[in-house]
Amino acid sequence: MLETLWHWISDPFQYEFMVKALGVGILVGVICAVLSCFITLKGWSLMGDAVSHAVLPGVVLAYLAGIPFGIGAFIFGLGSVLLIGWVRANTHLRDDAVIGIVFTAFFGLGLILISKIPSLAEWINTTFGYLPPLLDVKSILFGNVLGISNADILQTIIIGIITLALVLIFRRDLVLFCFDPNHARAIGLNTNLLYYMLLSLLALTIVAALQTIGIVLVVAMLVTPGAIAYTLTKRFDRMLLIAGSTSVFSCVVGIYASYYLNASTGGCIVFTQALVFLAALALAPRDGLLARALAKRVQRNTLLQRQPEATQLPDVHA
Amino acid sequence: MIETLWNWFVEPFQYSFMQTALGVSAFVGVVCALLSCYLILKGWSLMGDALSHAVLPGVVVAYLLGLPFALGAFASGLASAILIGWVKRNARIKEDTVIGLVFTAFFALGLILLSRTVSDVHLSHILYGNVLGIEPEDLIQTLIAGSIALGAVAILRRDLMLFCFDPNHARAIGLNTTFLYYALLTLLALTVVAALQAVGIILVIAMLITPGAIGYLLTDRFDRMMGLAVGAAVLASILGVYMSFHLDASTGGCIVVMQALLFFAAMLFAPKRGLLARFWLRRTMREAQRVLVPSKQG
Repeated sequence: MLETLWHWISDPFQYEFMVKALGVGILVGVICAVLSCFITLKGWSLMGDAVSHAVLPGVVLAYLAGIPFGIGAFIFGLGSVLLIGWVRANTHLRDDAVIGIVFTAFFGLGLILISKIPSLAEWINTTFGYLPPLLDVKSILFGNVLGISNADILQTIIIGIITLALVLIFRRDLVLFCFDPNHARAIGLNTNLLYYMLLSLLALTIVAALQTIGIVLVVAMLVTPGAIAYTLTKRFDRMLLIAGSTSVFSCVVGIYASYYLNASTGGCIVFTQALVFLAALALAPRDGLLARALAKRVQRNTLLQRQPEATQLPDVHA
Repeated sequence: MIETLWNWFVEPFQYSFMQTALGVSAFVGVVCALLSCYLILKGWSLMGDALSHAVLPGVVVAYLLGLPFALGAFASGLASAILIGWVKRNARIKEDTVIGLVFTAFFALGLILLSRTVSDVHLSHILYGNVLGIEPEDLIQTLIAGSIALGAVAILRRDLMLFCFDPNHARAIGLNTTFLYYALLTLLALTVVAALQAVGIILVIAMLITPGAIGYLLTDRFDRMMGLAVGAAVLASILGVYMSFHLDASTGGCIVVMQALLFFAAMLFAPKRGLLARFWLRRTMREAQRVLVPSKQG
């Protein structure tokens, strides 16, 4: 029994691609979890969804131009954020509507570019004499960590280091900005800078997670770990720890599940996270469903003990 | 010149698939535009995004069981809405987080099911739409789902409008707001189902936001907003299908980009709050100030 379990865990390690995938998965899990704590506090889920979809045209153009896709993705992610800010300042529409309009426009543009890749590549080949590599659209949209290339691993590591370093340096400022931006401004912090820094961090994290999870599901990595941690604790440092560990756990379990079930890796990771969230919701020490059910029961019992006469109501029908 | 333009519009019309595509896209445009007016007022953009992604597992299961895809999509969309409501009541996390969490879980489940079963061709049709090659039975499902949504909007129009503008007032005058809440969610799920074939899961949300936003920029009256939204959506759908035909590019992408262009045009040219109108107003005010207060010049 134990041996089977051991084999189940260790067998995949014979394959280099699984070792790479697990390593990248852990790194991405940590970065996303750290950001997700801020995103959850700030209520920026839709923003995460928006930026992750808006990078698509940047990825396609970067592939066609032969530069690292991360650069294109980052430029278009930030571009969408700036455009959202500009439209918001110039209309009286709600934020959520503005975000929806801008990111779908970017994504639509990305889809048009994808459908034109063959002819665009041919045009580039004839004018510049450079043939762009084939872009695997499915791996960009849904992730493909099991087939990740060394260059992409390097890109993920660089982005990861930048993101984690920035968060570490500006941790206190960012926390205060997320909890209470007015207070942050009052004590003299540059909240505009913090706003754009958090958005840039968001864009960077999305770029790092693209290869693992894919555009469509990145937002789950940016929402669920923070939500799990928020359910379990009320202190921010503990929240970071819990989010990090559950995120890494989900990534590892998801990659194993994807290997054994031969199913979509991004899907497996995100679904594992959702199950962990359900478990946290049920078992959370103070606010969990079980804890509240028990508390209600105890309360009812004590009430009944205090008022024993209430248990023996006179039979009105008699 | 005019002849070229004429040919640009008429030539595609020879093909029966283009006639169908134009008809379906225009019809989907009308349904989505009407609903988008309510969503814009209610601030439910994220909810639209959520429901459109959450239909995926239902579509896959329906495909596996040989059921109409619309049934699976509708059931799965509604299930996600109910789960969102349940988690929201039982967890102390923000609503947007709950929505993001639930819809990604549904979409992830859909991807897992897909990667185990359905072919890539079918996957791309669900995700990005396939209006130029729509199958007759899919067409019928789209028409049925859309017609039900249209009928329901026609019947509940006033109640829904009041519910979106001011739910407290709606409750105070005796409307059943819980019913209206679920009615709007059901309508949303139906509309997503209807629009799936035209633009696909990922871009349905654009059809559910942008037309309403265009209407909202151009007028302050709800009936006019609906008219403008429908007009803009139908125009964008038709131009998008033509563009897709001539450029040989993704139809969903073309429709959505057309809508975005119309939105920016509305932003520029809106009569009262548009960028140009405000620019002229500021200029006139400055002129007037200069005339009225000449001393400041010296």
